[in-house]
Amino acid sequence: MSETAVRVDDVSKSFRLYHERNQTIKSAVMRGRRSVHEDFWALKDVSFDVPQGSTFGLIGSNGSGKSTLLKCLANIYYPTTGSITHFGRLAAMLEVGSGFHSELSGRENIFLNGSILGMSKKEVTRKYDDIVAFSGVEQFIDQPVKNYSSGMYVRLGFAIAINVDPDILVVDEVLAVGDAEFQERCFQKFAEFKRAGKTVILVSHSMDTVKAMCDQAAWLSHGSLMAAGDAQPTIQAYLDSVGHDEA
Amino acid sequence: MNYLKEVFASRELLGNLVSREVKGKYSRTIFGQLWSLVNPLALMLIYTFVFGLIFRSKPEPGDPSGLDVFALWLLCGLLPWIFFSTVVTVGAGSLVANAGLIQKVYFTRIVLPLSVVGSTAYNWLFEMFVLVVALSIAGAFVLPWIPLLLVVMILLAVFSAGVALMLAVANVYFRDTQWFLSIGLQIGMYLTPIIYPASLVEQASRDVGGLAGTSFTLIDVYRLNPMDHFVTVFRQVLYDNRWPDGIEMLVCLAWAVGTAALGVIVFRRNEKNLAEAL
Repeated sequence: MSETAVRVDDVSKSFRLYHERNQTIKSAVMRGRRSVHEDFWALKDVSFDVPQGSTFGLIGSNGSGKSTLLKCLANIYYPTTGSITHFGRLAAMLEVGSGFHSELSGRENIFLNGSILGMSKKEVTRKYDDIVAFSGVEQFIDQPVKNYSSGMYVRLGFAIAINVDPDILVVDEVLAVGDAEFQERCFQKFAEFKRAGKTVILVSHSMDTVKAMCDQAAWLSHGSLMAAGDAQPTIQAYLDSVGHDEA
Repeated sequence: MNYLKEVFASRELLGNLVSREVKGKYSRTIFGQLWSLVNPLALMLIYTFVFGLIFRSKPEPGDPSGLDVFALWLLCGLLPWIFFSTVVTVGAGSLVANAGLIQKVYFTRIVLPLSVVGSTAYNWLFEMFVLVVALSIAGAFVLPWIPLLLVVMILLAVFSAGVALMLAVANVYFRDTQWFLSIGLQIGMYLTPIIYPASLVEQASRDVGGLAGTSFTLIDVYRLNPMDHFVTVFRQVLYDNRWPDGIEMLVCLAWAVGTAALGVIVFRRNEKNLAEAL
């Protein structure tokens, strides 16, 4: 395998579960500085490398820590211990259309959202036509986005995010948007990414998606890494364990 | 230093967020930007009626401008105060209001409160422009003082930004902050010489003498309020049309720089925990 795109090194992440939280000044004063909590380890000593140019799937049941790991990758959470290093520009698509202003038009939102995702105005202007074409909302681009259907809304958000053109793309379960035609276009875009030697890290519950798209995978269970490596055996191991649990 | 560079690199994002606020605020209203004037004008009418006509508050005429109009004298202090209180109130809620964004996308978080400063300043500029026109019609020679006015406005904006940064973080952890704030700002408004001249406080201070047997007087305590100094400088420039006292300028500068520095430090220290704490 070639070079590493993302190195996840011994990452642990704990959250505080508050039984009684000092979120008002009254409770802080009444109880002194103590607030009662216990630590919950959402991730425990997870280490793996994501090779450059691979499409990497994170799989696991609900609550296994996939989303926490993804947020750590996206710089939204910071690991309690351990470190995550990435080589190249990273963009995260955890939710599409976040930051849209409902009163502004699609066009204005493209520029606003583009800059939230870290694109310069010049970049957005250059990619503007691509974004609009990809989203398929040309006809309504000057309408306020509050009048968009939910499908149009999500497609526009997705079109902006995918045009950030990062070296590493982190995607949460956002592929389940749009109609069949739009999904097909998304898959093509991911294939294009792959051909260009870019890395994609994605979370999905649909094993078919993961099987179809990923060549590498990591399986998380209750915050611990169970297996990482080639997609086929990892997915198989996960499916087997699910079968055992439920049968 | 690196942090400042990062903030500077996000200036386009900041600009876009400001224009989002500005465009979104008065969209779908018939009067649009004019609404920005309505609130100060309504307050002006109320205070002029109550304090100018009924209580007969008589500020000294502008020296050397010779102006003697209570309503204009009032606005010279009221408009900066409204700017400050809007920035602080909206800025304190800016992180909580954008919780969805903070939990989903990485970007330099400080642009959220700063964009509030920008969009409020946009309205403020518009209001101050109208005030300068009104002052000129009333006979004041304001035009040569505009560059200095802009400097003082920037100082107040920097000061307000510092306060807003600290309160925005505090509000994430303690939602009580915003409720305390609305009371605090009301008290603050009456503790600042906006609707009455500071000379009345000096008078009262002389009558009372040293507080609790010390040489501290009422006016010394009163002057601890930074907004008192800002309002004084705004009046000297706009209403009196003269150089503000050097010492007052220095006090404003010190408050602006000190508060902003503290605000950035507090914000930076808590920035990484915001997504979890929200």
